Amino acid sequence: MTEPASLRSRQPRFRGLEAGHRACQGCGEALAARLVTESAGPDVILTNATGCLEVFTTPWPQSAWRVPWLHSLFENSAAIASGVEAALKAQGRRTKVIAMGGDGGTFDIGFQALSGMLERMHNVLYVCYDNEAYMNTGIQRSSSTPHAAMTTTSPPGKNRMGKRHMKKDLLSIIAAHHVPYAASASVAYPQDLRRKVRRAMEIEGPTFLLVHSPCPLGWGHDGTLSIEIARLGVQTGLFPLIELERGEVASVMPIRNPVPVVEYLKRQGRFRHLFSDGDHRAREEREHLQALADYNIERYGLKGDGDDPLDTDGADTVRRGGPART
Amino acid sequence: MPVTMTRGAFALPGTSLAFKTGTWRNTRPIHTHAAAPCHGACPAGEDQQEWLARLQEGRPREAWEALVAMNPMPAVTGRVCPHPCESACNRGQYDSPIAIHGIERWLGDEAIRHNWAYPLLDVPVRSQRVAVVGAGPAGLSAAYHLLRRRYNVVLFDAMPEAGGLLRSAIPPTRLPRDVVDKELGRILALGIEFRPRTALGRDVSLDQLRSEFDAVFLGVGAGKSRHWDVDGAVPADLHEGLGMLKEWLVVGALPTPNAVVIHGGGNTAVDLARVMRRAGVKDVHVVTASGLPGPDTEPDDVLNVVPRELEQAVEEGVVFHPHRTINRLIMRGSKVVGVEMVRLKKLPDGRGRKSRVSFEGTETVLHVDMVVPAIGEVVDPTGMESVLHGKDYIKTDRFGRIDGQAGLFAGGDARDWLKGLTGGTVSAAIGDGRRAAEAIDALLSGREAVEPVRPPIRYDRLNLAYYENRPRIPLPTLELEKRNDTDEIEGGPSGAQALAEANRCFSCGNCLACDNCWTLCPDNAVVKTTELASDGSHYVFDYDYCKGCGLCAKECPCGYIDMVPDE
Repeated sequence: MTEPASLRSRQPRFRGLEAGHRACQGCGEALAARLVTESAGPDVILTNATGCLEVFTTPWPQSAWRVPWLHSLFENSAAIASGVEAALKAQGRRTKVIAMGGDGGTFDIGFQALSGMLERMHNVLYVCYDNEAYMNTGIQRSSSTPHAAMTTTSPPGKNRMGKRHMKKDLLSIIAAHHVPYAASASVAYPQDLRRKVRRAMEIEGPTFLLVHSPCPLGWGHDGTLSIEIARLGVQTGLFPLIELERGEVASVMPIRNPVPVVEYLKRQGRFRHLFSDGDHRAREEREHLQALADYNIERYGLKGDGDDPLDTDGADTVRRGGPART
Repeated sequence: MPVTMTRGAFALPGTSLAFKTGTWRNTRPIHTHAAAPCHGACPAGEDQQEWLARLQEGRPREAWEALVAMNPMPAVTGRVCPHPCESACNRGQYDSPIAIHGIERWLGDEAIRHNWAYPLLDVPVRSQRVAVVGAGPAGLSAAYHLLRRRYNVVLFDAMPEAGGLLRSAIPPTRLPRDVVDKELGRILALGIEFRPRTALGRDVSLDQLRSEFDAVFLGVGAGKSRHWDVDGAVPADLHEGLGMLKEWLVVGALPTPNAVVIHGGGNTAVDLARVMRRAGVKDVHVVTASGLPGPDTEPDDVLNVVPRELEQAVEEGVVFHPHRTINRLIMRGSKVVGVEMVRLKKLPDGRGRKSRVSFEGTETVLHVDMVVPAIGEVVDPTGMESVLHGKDYIKTDRFGRIDGQAGLFAGGDARDWLKGLTGGTVSAAIGDGRRAAEAIDALLSGREAVEPVRPPIRYDRLNLAYYENRPRIPLPTLELEKRNDTDEIEGGPSGAQALAEANRCFSCGNCLACDNCWTLCPDNAVVKTTELASDGSHYVFDYDYCKGCGLCAKECPCGYIDMVPDE
């Protein structure tokens, strides 16, 4: 009875996103979507913006989803979710709606629909899988791409060291909608991610989750390293894990020992040009990214004081039989 | 799936499970149960990781059962072993090693307290009889492991009680006698026929045993002091170290000169030094060719002493003179009034072998009125002439087999190859006894003797992000002024402490059942089982879907997952 096929139907967790999907090896977004749906449970309806997630989970005529799932266009995941939610409400059903999109479909193309959904206070959880560029179409920069990262539309060269502009501070814009709950999470901290999904699911009203999801292809790293890089993203301060209640910072994941950003950068091809010898701009940009991380640490008070079971070192501690805490 | 359908046609929804992404893979994850460094370093062959895991699950009795599958006397070794397991512990590179000896001792004591039954192997009872000569650690281990395999075992010893050097050479301050009585008593009570006061060469001969028994194991130890002189000079009133220690253990008295120098660098030398110091000898010097533990001392040059014993000896005022030897005895008539020491080091000679080089011009004098050699012991040749061939020790292979003497085995201190870092310890003798039992069983069953060896795991194969710094439990030590000749100096952990300490174990090379692989697989290709999978873990790779990304291997805290090329 230990054949995988027979075991699969008896797993002690809900399988919202099943195997056989076509994501790349080590895909952070596939992992994030799997974690989100298994925490959200079976009583949900998903809407999906165009993007990797939509493409790799639903190659015609198959689907990797084991819950109702809709896709219409790149820009309207939040709009469809609003409609589904209104219809369910009219029917008196309490099925939760989750809208999903990548950073392109959320930060840029679906931004207006998202803002509308939040403003109309639809009872929808919007999850943005943030892999910091348009990966599905060939790694074009998005407004979520971090400063100095290389994409096909922000190549490093004589005039620029990768992307000129900063990563859009989307959470602050979400906060300005005064929604009941918004948070950032990372695939490197699955317990934290699951808790935030459950928290969002129990809230009546619009909620938002930004999940940092490494893309081995677009970030230029081996699929083996997806979790390690995501973890470094948090431990450096470049991707702060915070929770906002009604727009106010309610809690943060403290960083026990901040890691220098070069540890994060040097593992990724998209920052390779920041390590080219003899280019004074490389050093400058590395310092710039360090300053951005320091800014986050200062702004959100990420520097922990002492050992905390919920800080960046404690939150992923394991013991025999599972995570140290649930 | 209907394959003839055109793209625009109506299709029944299908599940992606029909698409086997496993075909993309060029490397596959496999579970590899590598050897934890503690296991690799243990002379007795214990798998500490295994029994610490049972403790992590809150099952002390199962932990003890896993432990005594290798070593029947954890209450003893938990007290006297120099614990090379702790020196090898990967946690030592992270914060501080697991206090394995303390937990082992606690388990041993618990077993005695609750009278847990030693589990014997579920095999048919054997008709063959095996004689074991010497009821020290090697003989007891051989007898126990043979009995475990359901042989008839007769254990001979010249002394009235079992224990060998556990009784004759280790002070009760290190090993309380009631612990020896209880633990050894429990082993003998399993059904070993014990014949005390029976000395080889006096009451029974080797030939007699060989004709009467199907196999004979010699665990006779090394009971005769090695010959010692300095350029031919020997004081008239020479006492040698082990003899003095034995005398003190039996009659409780020993000579108390004003100042003594003990020549030697083993446990006997240090034990004797501490006993003499407590008996009131003002100046106790230990002269040893080895070095004290420290960053500048090579591992094979360190004093072969339990590290904490050395610390305690220094606390108690014993003066060590490392890297020195006694060059000359200063005599008045036939009495010693001092010794001349000279510095030396073990250095490689022209052929790369290490030999002792003394440095002229570094001579110093110690004023003492007694000199005690404790430079080691050799096998007492009485009754053993046919196996010793005039040598100091019995020559055997690693299973204790003696070349050309079928059915005759030897182990423990009596055997010649067991020198070096962990040689000559109680645990090494226990390991010898176990391997010999395996070889005897193999011989009597007509099969090859086997000692399973697993590849060791390296520190860099662990993913330390999943562990946290946690201090090692402090073990109580009797205060300096309260130490005497009988009370045990080091204490053991409480039950809560032992369990907490066990939880610090990294579980190197073996599954921690932490769910990381199951949680972090983007492809849902790791499935979990409530019952154990065939390899003992709770996880099964679904190779139909595994794309071979290697995330699970990278994020496994224990290094239990290896990526190997896919066929």
